[in-house]
Amino acid sequence: MTAARTVSLTGVTKRYRGTPALDSVDLAFGPGITGLLGPNGAGKTTFLRIVATVLAPDAGEVRLLGRIPDTPDRLAEVRRRLGYLPQEMGFPRGFTAFGFVDYMAVLKEWTARAPRHDEVRRVLSLVDLGDLTTKRISALSGGQRRRVALAQALLGEPELLLLDEPTTGVDPEQRVTLRQVLSRAGERSTVLLSTHQTEDVAALCDRVVVLDAGRVRFDGPVVDLVATAAGRVWLADAPDRAARASWRTGSGRHRNVGEAAPSGAELAEPTLEDAYLLLLGDRARTTAVAA
Amino acid sequence: MTAVAGRRAAPAEATLRTLAWVEARRWARHPLFLLGCALLIWGAVGIWNNLDATFNEFRVAPAFCVGVLGALVGCQLTRSMSRSTDAVAAAPADGVLRTAALCLACLVPGAVGLLWVTWLYVAAMAMPTPQSALSTADQIAVLLSGVVASVGGPLFGVMVGRWTRFPGAGLVGAVVLIGWTILGNSSLIQPASRLNDLVRLNAPYAFWTSSDNDHSHIWVAGGSPWWHLAYVVLLCGLAATAAMVHEAVGARRSRLWRILAELAGLAVVALALAVAADPTRVPL
Repeated sequence: MTAARTVSLTGVTKRYRGTPALDSVDLAFGPGITGLLGPNGAGKTTFLRIVATVLAPDAGEVRLLGRIPDTPDRLAEVRRRLGYLPQEMGFPRGFTAFGFVDYMAVLKEWTARAPRHDEVRRVLSLVDLGDLTTKRISALSGGQRRRVALAQALLGEPELLLLDEPTTGVDPEQRVTLRQVLSRAGERSTVLLSTHQTEDVAALCDRVVVLDAGRVRFDGPVVDLVATAAGRVWLADAPDRAARASWRTGSGRHRNVGEAAPSGAELAEPTLEDAYLLLLGDRARTTAVAA
Repeated sequence: MTAVAGRRAAPAEATLRTLAWVEARRWARHPLFLLGCALLIWGAVGIWNNLDATFNEFRVAPAFCVGVLGALVGCQLTRSMSRSTDAVAAAPADGVLRTAALCLACLVPGAVGLLWVTWLYVAAMAMPTPQSALSTADQIAVLLSGVVASVGGPLFGVMVGRWTRFPGAGLVGAVVLIGWTILGNSSLIQPASRLNDLVRLNAPYAFWTSSDNDHSHIWVAGGSPWWHLAYVVLLCGLAATAAMVHEAVGARRSRLWRILAELAGLAVVALALAVAADPTRVPL
């Protein structure tokens, strides 16, 4: 089991001005797609930056692809085999989609021109930007830029793929396309997917890790997390003030996520989102009423 | 595992060469660099008819048009990937290699400076220009300092881009270069002395003749043009090494600091030797 682990973190702690972003986290990942969920400031991005070797932890051990990246040579060895899509990614002015991904390919040591260009075209086609390669990035939409950023992470079919909110700003149709790409990547690589989109995690991941205030609140199969919400999600004609979360659905009825059944309510099939809201408890207490 | 995933890592030299080539093309397409080249050509046409014995305008042209503007270009190109910092940082080509590639790309403005100086030298030989008090060997050193300035400004820009974070740092760097040169060369209006030569020659670009359009009271300043050339070459090395130090970690950072200290020591020696030459001004 240990040999199959691509990523292993033991007692990893990271603080920003004394405030813990990660607090003694122990996690290990093997091939497949794992979803990282958590509220803003939970430590998801810090976690991914540490695994991407961009940020060093204050304490603890990080083992990636069978080695501890503690020397420049080992760092380079790990970086050759990982792809990383950061949460916030800007682009230098004047670059086309092809030019930018090509530049990143050079940084990833694709030195021979012809195979590099083939690879750049391949990843741009994967994210459905094959016909926009010569367009300047500044002229692309937010979703298209996000896909350019994803394309650079996919260069070389990395064994370890780290994606920080890859579908932000991407339209539903493209999101489905990206899910197909990521699902294929998950068949051969270890993919860590940080997102606020619980439906992406439900659609793609076998396993989910929920971080909250720098600690692991849940780590297990997605179905297990969903199962924790069984019998705690109700559809009713009115919002339930005692519920952890309540909102008006498109049908006009109110979805209440909580412990007790409101009067006249009927039990509903729980989703990952329901389970996530219940797990986070008071932190996620909200009453959102759609107009 | 696919053939793509099984790809072998390229040697660092190959990555450096490829990256330097990419950066060189970015440099050659940068609007400020193209503006500098255009200014150089326009300036050549404009001042050719006013050619005098000093050649001052010609010598300073590449230093200003390519060197000073190159400081802005260097800073911009160095910082251009800062918007993608995390993605770049997770790539195997580390910051030292990326900085080295940018430094190599500074050969593009250097090549323009060299072309200019070669053209000037050939043209001056062909034209009946007044004789200069500088020997032919010294003339070459003075002309070559224009080439070095066209590389040095861009290297200075790369260094500024690596070490500073505030907006407009490239512009501030360019102003510092101009100010340093003007302040240093202002000693030409002072009496001849080794101290005044030190003030003049510590600047990254030094004037060697008084400039006077009516061709009267023209003289050649003291000091050694060749040792000054060695000094400015060492300043280029200092800028490149200082830029790389910023990105280095561990033992490599210590090694680069040591090289930086050695280059600084050699620069001081070269400057001392440039100033040690006879400070007497020779009339034309």
